[in-house]
Amino acid sequence: MTEPFIESEMLGTTHWTSAAICDLVDENKGSIDPRIYTDEQLYQLELERIFGRAWLCVAHEAQIPNAGDFFSTYMGEDPVLVVRQVDMSVKVLLNQCLHRGMKLCRADLGNAKVFNCSYHGWSYGINGDLIRVPREEEGYKNKLIKSDWGAIEVAAVELYHGLIFATWDRQAPKLKSYLGDAAYYLDTFLSRHDGGTEIIGGVTKWVIKANWKFAAEQFASDMYHAPLSHLSATLAAMPPGTSVSKAEWKGTGYHVRTHQGGHGTGFFSAPTEAAQIENIQILFGWMGEDASKYYYTEAAENLRQRRGDAPLGINGAHMTIFPNLSFLPAIQTLRVWQPRGPNEIEVWAVTLVDKAAPQAAKEQWRLGNIRTFSAGGVFEQDDGENWVMIQDVLRGYRARKTALNTSMGQGFSKPHEDYPGIVGDVFSEEAARGLYSHWAKMLTTDKWATLYD
Amino acid sequence: MTDIVVPDSQVTPELQYRIEQFLYYESRLLDDRQFRLWYDMLDDNLRYTMPIRQNRLRREQHLEYDGAAEAQFFDETKKSIDMRIRRLETGFAWAEDPPSRTRHLVTNVTIFHVCKENIQLSAYFHVYRSRLERQIEHFVGQRIDCLKITGDSYSLLAREIRLDQSTLMTNSLSFFF
Ligand code: FES
Ligand SMILES: [Fe+2]
Repeated sequence: MTEPFIESEMLGTTHWTSAAICDLVDENKGSIDPRIYTDEQLYQLELERIFGRAWLCVAHEAQIPNAGDFFSTYMGEDPVLVVRQVDMSVKVLLNQCLHRGMKLCRADLGNAKVFNCSYHGWSYGINGDLIRVPREEEGYKNKLIKSDWGAIEVAAVELYHGLIFATWDRQAPKLKSYLGDAAYYLDTFLSRHDGGTEIIGGVTKWVIKANWKFAAEQFASDMYHAPLSHLSATLAAMPPGTSVSKAEWKGTGYHVRTHQGGHGTGFFSAPTEAAQIENIQILFGWMGEDASKYYYTEAAENLRQRRGDAPLGINGAHMTIFPNLSFLPAIQTLRVWQPRGPNEIEVWAVTLVDKAAPQAAKEQWRLGNIRTFSAGGVFEQDDGENWVMIQDVLRGYRARKTALNTSMGQGFSKPHEDYPGIVGDVFSEEAARGLYSHWAKMLTTDKWATLYD
Repeated sequence: MTDIVVPDSQVTPELQYRIEQFLYYESRLLDDRQFRLWYDMLDDNLRYTMPIRQNRLRREQHLEYDGAAEAQFFDETKKSIDMRIRRLETGFAWAEDPPSRTRHLVTNVTIFHVCKENIQLSAYFHVYRSRLERQIEHFVGQRIDCLKITGDSYSLLAREIRLDQSTLMTNSLSFFF
């Protein structure tokens, strides 16, 4: 008996069977099939089965402090409005009028009393209720049941250290179980100081003509690229005339694949005092003295008192929460990779800082992010260059047929006494394998329970 | 943010000419990849910024640009520009190696303030960038400059770049405006 083809809600029968999708990600061989980055049907399935079901980060609480404040974003390609309610709770609504589908609100953010559709004038309360319809009497003869036509709401919203997450799927597990092992690291990154976090200014947005998984995977798993991709930036941040050998990324550290869920992180640990001092100096070089000092003294002490020493061994980290939330703690950039078709990403990046940090430190983080990890940042520029070029190469038939190697560190990861997850050397691709395997599982598995075997 | 730009009545045709030539020379250095010579035109106290712009309802229009202490695509000093140029000089700056082809078109030059020390002007720009085989990008906007008068020439003391894009349509701002 041949295996049935996967049914997409939008496309009907696809040309993919479950087995064929699982074969795209070969953990035993340590390889992936590059069609995961290019295939239109797989992309449609991602929208339905990943972005249509996963917990997605939609905003930070600080972006909508007051009742009526809204922030306009996307869950996959679906536009949504994140709205602060009168009782200060948060609702996430599909940004689509139920009359003929016009976008309800076209501003990026702001404050509203109602959302007025610009097409025929249906208006919705900030809670999504349809409250006014023009010509209700003459046109609809008072037959329209307005309570049936409120804006579509997500299935659930949860807050986590100031970040707002939402999912379309009523069956989705609680956010805490969705995060699994990743929660330990999120707690470390988002709550280094227990005073909470804030965002500096608005969202910086730019496009990268490449598949979203390149970005998600890199932040989950790829410390390997940093010494070479970012060699120019590493050198430029050092005193003029520094030799290439001095810009080598030394140090040891760990790499984490969460047991479930496809999340990943990697970081340098600093067992010796000399290594600890080096970490402080690196952050000093990239952000500035005040930021570095605050991060490694006041904030570190606050963290130590609540969580002990182990979280302090995490330095220079990168992380992705599956599918598309990534950040670099210490640098303090946090971004969502918005998918825009198989061949394009929109990066939405913010600088996140502890409220308790001194003003001078916050300003250094603001400037440091602009100059290192943003569209014009000396580090970030080179990531885009790589991903765009790969995507371009994958136009080729022969190129798309070529299996790509994801085998680094295979078989060398194991549980660690301090750090949750499957832990290996900082230079490893264990988390990439985890991310792609989870990706395949989400595309082929209907039940959440089996996603977490 | 200065929004109304009226020409200063003291502006003579000669001054207008000299300023335009200064801006054209600057463009040519950037397009000829003479970044060190361009760097020499920058004042030691340079502030070089490009604020992000958001889509706001008309009633919240005053909030369109992020403020000076908020999100920007550039917020540079002469020192950080030096760091950016040193990056290009390392030979490992992949986003500019091979280098982009750029053309800086500068137009609508309006001098709106002249005093003993400074000249303030607004100019429109169209930066064309062609990269590798077929990547083409266009950036259009306004620059608000403050030049410091240094003897018979000028140095660039402040530049605010107002780009007419909200979502930036490139993967790398690895060049200058
Ligand atoms: S589409 Fe919104 S009122 Fe018609
Ligand atoms: Fe990178």
